[in-house]
Amino acid sequence: MAYPTAALDVIGLWIGWVLMLMIYSYPLYKENPAFRTAEHMFIGVTLAITIITNFSNVMKMCVTPLMQGNILMIVPLVLGLMIFSMLIPEYQWVSRYPIGLLVGTAFGLGIRGTIKPNLQDAIIDTITAPTSGGAMAWLNFLYVAVGLICSIMYFMLTFEHKGMLKAPTRIGRLFIMVGLGAYFGNTVLFRFTMLTGRAQFFLQVLKLIPM
Amino acid sequence: MSALSKLANVDSRVFYWILFIALMVPFLSPIGFPITIAENTRDLYEGITDDEVEEGDVWIMNFGYGVSAWPECHPSVTVCTKALFREGAKIIFMGPHYDVELTYNKIHDTVRDDFVDKVYGEDYVFLGYITGGESAIAQLASNIRSVYPVDHFGTPLDELSMMQGVNTHEDIAGVLSSDTGDYGVHFMTQWQAAYGSKLAEIGIAMNGSTDLPRWQAGNYFGLSIGSRGGAELEILIGELGEATTAMDSISVSHLLLIFAVILGNIGMVVQRRSS
Amino acid sequence: MSQILRREAVYAFTGIITILMILEYFFWPTPQIWADTIRTWAIIVFNISLGLGAIRLLMQQSMNVQKRRENWQYSAMLLSLFVVMLLTGFAGYFATGLQTSNGIYDWLFINIYTPLGATLYPITGFYIFSAAYRAFRARNVDAALMLIAGCFVMLKNAPVGEAIWIGFATIGNWFQFTGQIPGMRTFSIVGAFGLMAYGFRALLGKERGFYAGGE
Repeated sequence: MAYPTAALDVIGLWIGWVLMLMIYSYPLYKENPAFRTAEHMFIGVTLAITIITNFSNVMKMCVTPLMQGNILMIVPLVLGLMIFSMLIPEYQWVSRYPIGLLVGTAFGLGIRGTIKPNLQDAIIDTITAPTSGGAMAWLNFLYVAVGLICSIMYFMLTFEHKGMLKAPTRIGRLFIMVGLGAYFGNTVLFRFTMLTGRAQFFLQVLKLIPM
Repeated sequence: MSALSKLANVDSRVFYWILFIALMVPFLSPIGFPITIAENTRDLYEGITDDEVEEGDVWIMNFGYGVSAWPECHPSVTVCTKALFREGAKIIFMGPHYDVELTYNKIHDTVRDDFVDKVYGEDYVFLGYITGGESAIAQLASNIRSVYPVDHFGTPLDELSMMQGVNTHEDIAGVLSSDTGDYGVHFMTQWQAAYGSKLAEIGIAMNGSTDLPRWQAGNYFGLSIGSRGGAELEILIGELGEATTAMDSISVSHLLLIFAVILGNIGMVVQRRSS
Repeated sequence: MSQILRREAVYAFTGIITILMILEYFFWPTPQIWADTIRTWAIIVFNISLGLGAIRLLMQQSMNVQKRRENWQYSAMLLSLFVVMLLTGFAGYFATGLQTSNGIYDWLFINIYTPLGATLYPITGFYIFSAAYRAFRARNVDAALMLIAGCFVMLKNAPVGEAIWIGFATIGNWFQFTGQIPGMRTFSIVGAFGLMAYGFRALLGKERGFYAGGE
């Protein structure tokens, strides 16, 4: 994308730049009116976008087919409107039905969908011995297998972690700490990449680097 | 309190300013450290090129990221879009973020040369915003038109030549899901696990830890992890871009963090010894 | 009767939906039209329900302005921007079917929403820096292991690590592709069991946390 030339676009670009600095005034200095202003602006526009986008989705998926003769579409429309009964204290129980639909669908899909990838495939991959790679591959295989068993034992909270359970759960905790450390390392990359994008934008608006 | 023990209690804002300035320096004065390719990234690239993709195959590209994650995900998505177009595949773009249209416009900018000879409706379509979590993705697998009766611009799907005969998971050759949240996992549980669909994840680095076991188990045929994955893909396709440019800044910021951690630990050790 | 409508009927309704979704997967090889219908309805209800959060927030902000609470001026600005965005967006939508066809809406979307959205989330990058500085301390064996794993993965992710010493990349790769796998896989497996347990509890009406209001 080239540096804009139209006046409104350039003004918009600089407004975005100033808004960015208003947001960054909070960590770099302290909470201040500039940050509050930018924060409230964001909430205001996001609310409007949420309402419009979901309205247009409902029109496309429900209202238009209803107008075209699909009478069944009255059901989700009524169920959806029932959710707003949450705003009226004496009729809040009416909103339980649409929530029940959402919860039931989510749980049903979640339960049926989680078994193969998160249980079956994960366990099969863990217990499948390496066919190549030499000693290091076997060491890694044993590391993962033992680590997984001990880590799962750590989460067995039905029994107190003492006696025979003390050693494996302690080892499991160490494996989990290694996993969390690596997770943190990856999280750092994510967060810093986002910051890098903003640093790049800062310089691009000032024309110190090409857009 | 000695100077060394004060290292454990430096005001955070000092670090924020150093970080803010340090992130910008490599853009003004690039360094260019070499980047090695990880196996998961190579698997992703090989899964969308050569014999793995046939001309006319229809792929889904899920823009599961907003503008804040453009630096993380967009470079990888750019490379994958280029690769698929060059193999003659057709692409359905969609996404669960309100700013999905902006991301669609950005892909037109970053993949400009490859879009030149592509025709909307014949080679690619943009279905637009989707929401509904796992229900939406599950329903997409069984009936695309029930979730998207029309595309983002209001054109009925039946009027788009590319979408004729394309309505279920069986008509889709593969899915590339680029995520900051759960949509990649939804595609995994509702497409890959249920129907064996070909699926790859172009994820943020934060999800890399949870996605790697899935790639190893075969749920994803390939995996790109954050901007590092994007830089590796740019090397694989031979066209360096935004991710490679950002890697110098990433290097500086990571070194700063390691330095801060070492500083904090030295301070802690000195404090313990003095007390 | 009203008690049954408020409680038992709701649990039964939720349970039936859950069971239908599970049965479809295990007893039919292809998606069924009745399950398609339920899922489509759920998507539509989901879309409508997102408006509820927006309305609650607007009610709260309106109260702030009406009662002149502390910092009410921010709420007034929020509401003004909201109204402008909403009206221009609907104007565009009803004119062409696309809200971004309205110039004002499009300009606000690109120049207000986008830079703010792109900046608010990356702010956590600063906090992760200070979190690492303050909390990443080798106080005991557990913390030391976490610290070592985190540092090697960071040095593996950043190309500079490999440039300083190839060992950083080698060891970092080990942590990335092997070291973390037991822990991460445990979370997936335990999470899957937890989801199934929670789902069955919801099926039996024992999980009531997500049902709003009333007794």
